[in-house]
Amino acid sequence: MIRYARLYLHFLRFSFSRAMEFRFDFFFRVAMDALWYAVNFGFFWLLYRHTGLFGGWNYDQVLIFMGAVFVADAIQMTVFSNNMWALPMLINKGDLDYYLVRPVSALWFVSLREFAANSFLNLLMALSVFAWMLARYPLSLGMGGVAVYVAFLGMGVFLHYCLQMLFLIPSFWMHTSHGLRDVFWSLEAVTNRPHGIFTGWVRRLLISILPFSLVVSYPTRILFEGITFPLFLHMTGVSAATFLVMLLLWRRGLRDYASASS
Amino acid sequence: MTFWQVMTIEARKRMSYRADFWLGAILGLGAQIGICIFLALAIFRESGSERIGEYTVRGMVLYYVVVQLVAKIVRSTEMEMGVSQDIYEGGLTRYLLYPTSYGLFKYAQQLGALAPSLIQVLLLGAWVPFVFAGEAEVTLASAVMCLAAIAVANVLYFLLGTVIQLVASWADNVWSLMVANRIAAALFGGFMIPLSLFPPWARAILAWTPFPYLFAFPLDALFGRLSPADWARGMGLALGWCGGVAILGKILWRRGMIQYTGVGI
Repeated sequence: MIRYARLYLHFLRFSFSRAMEFRFDFFFRVAMDALWYAVNFGFFWLLYRHTGLFGGWNYDQVLIFMGAVFVADAIQMTVFSNNMWALPMLINKGDLDYYLVRPVSALWFVSLREFAANSFLNLLMALSVFAWMLARYPLSLGMGGVAVYVAFLGMGVFLHYCLQMLFLIPSFWMHTSHGLRDVFWSLEAVTNRPHGIFTGWVRRLLISILPFSLVVSYPTRILFEGITFPLFLHMTGVSAATFLVMLLLWRRGLRDYASASS
Repeated sequence: MTFWQVMTIEARKRMSYRADFWLGAILGLGAQIGICIFLALAIFRESGSERIGEYTVRGMVLYYVVVQLVAKIVRSTEMEMGVSQDIYEGGLTRYLLYPTSYGLFKYAQQLGALAPSLIQVLLLGAWVPFVFAGEAEVTLASAVMCLAAIAVANVLYFLLGTVIQLVASWADNVWSLMVANRIAAALFGGFMIPLSLFPPWARAILAWTPFPYLFAFPLDALFGRLSPADWARGMGLALGWCGGVAILGKILWRRGMIQYTGVGI
């Protein structure tokens, strides 16, 4: 465990020193995320001019939900996105060999090697917006409730990572340059909407087999409705099952992986 | 002639990835349309209103379905970053030797790359007239006006993307700028929410920006919400933006070429 932590610190140091060489990108990324926040707040502001509730939540509740979406996205962009982007190319070009010969878990190495230091400022910005949205909520949420919320949001981020991997792992068999990445991006839009807008079998699908609604929406539901044992079981059960499926597919993919390099 | 050849070569290349094509069509575009339908239904269900702005629930769903299809054509290959990659990787060098305009060459490639998108849009859009029969009065004239507006929107989106990517001559990464353009266009172009739901002051400002001509304007033309005079005025403004952005692109291109260095072809 300590070995992995030390290795990750090396990744961080390397990423920050490299990111400082690309200063324009720092500025552009901050501007892009600021615009993304503004556009999303603008979207919901426009929506609530015509309805009092959306997905069962009022405007103040949706603002907290969006703050959490920003945080989840910023963590994903900072910690995982560069690695996820490169994975199909590593598989297709045979560069995965480099990761397989290291004396650490290949999945861990492939998933965390590139830390996007140029997005780190955005993560701080997202956390600030999230804290602001929690603070401006008119009712008391309680420290305990917020702590549980943050813990489940962490689980949601991990679930998001597992889901993204599930859509990239087919690159082992599909031999395309990006696996099912475009399909993932289309479905990922679900995470930015309250689960309450979906009904019937689509809603059941989005909280079980394709659990995109569990990433941010369900943790937010836990904040407003309180944690119950069935909800706890649902979140942890689906997250664990998704992780196990991802792990099995990853191992299967590695077995079928045909190296292209020497 | 060269334009046509580049376009058809690119179209053939794109059509050769069949798994990508079907997955993109059925899962990708289908999912986006599905999410939008649920969004529209939720707005009406929870507001309890029968009409929001000028839309009934069916009208709103129709808007969201059609705007997804139109956007698929207008956006085309926006995020492939071909121009900035040429600058960063030195691929631009060979285009400088070709006896043709770089911009036209790239636009021909973009049009060719549209082939799978067009088929996807036709396949997924084929059921729209049957499901939404009577919801909007689409005539031959409004369809032609819409197609012309889409064609101009496609050029405008391409030019905006190209100008942003030309910044690559000075900046180390322009991906964020492209995403920012996509985000701004989505809200202010009427992709995320119909522009008629914006307050009047915001619509008045947006009318002078290029964004409404990307998605909302072709839809207004299709649904017969524009008189011929309104359409002509909108097309004039959209073409004016195309001209303005093209001039800016020309200036950036000239300045960028002074900076550019490439080795070999």
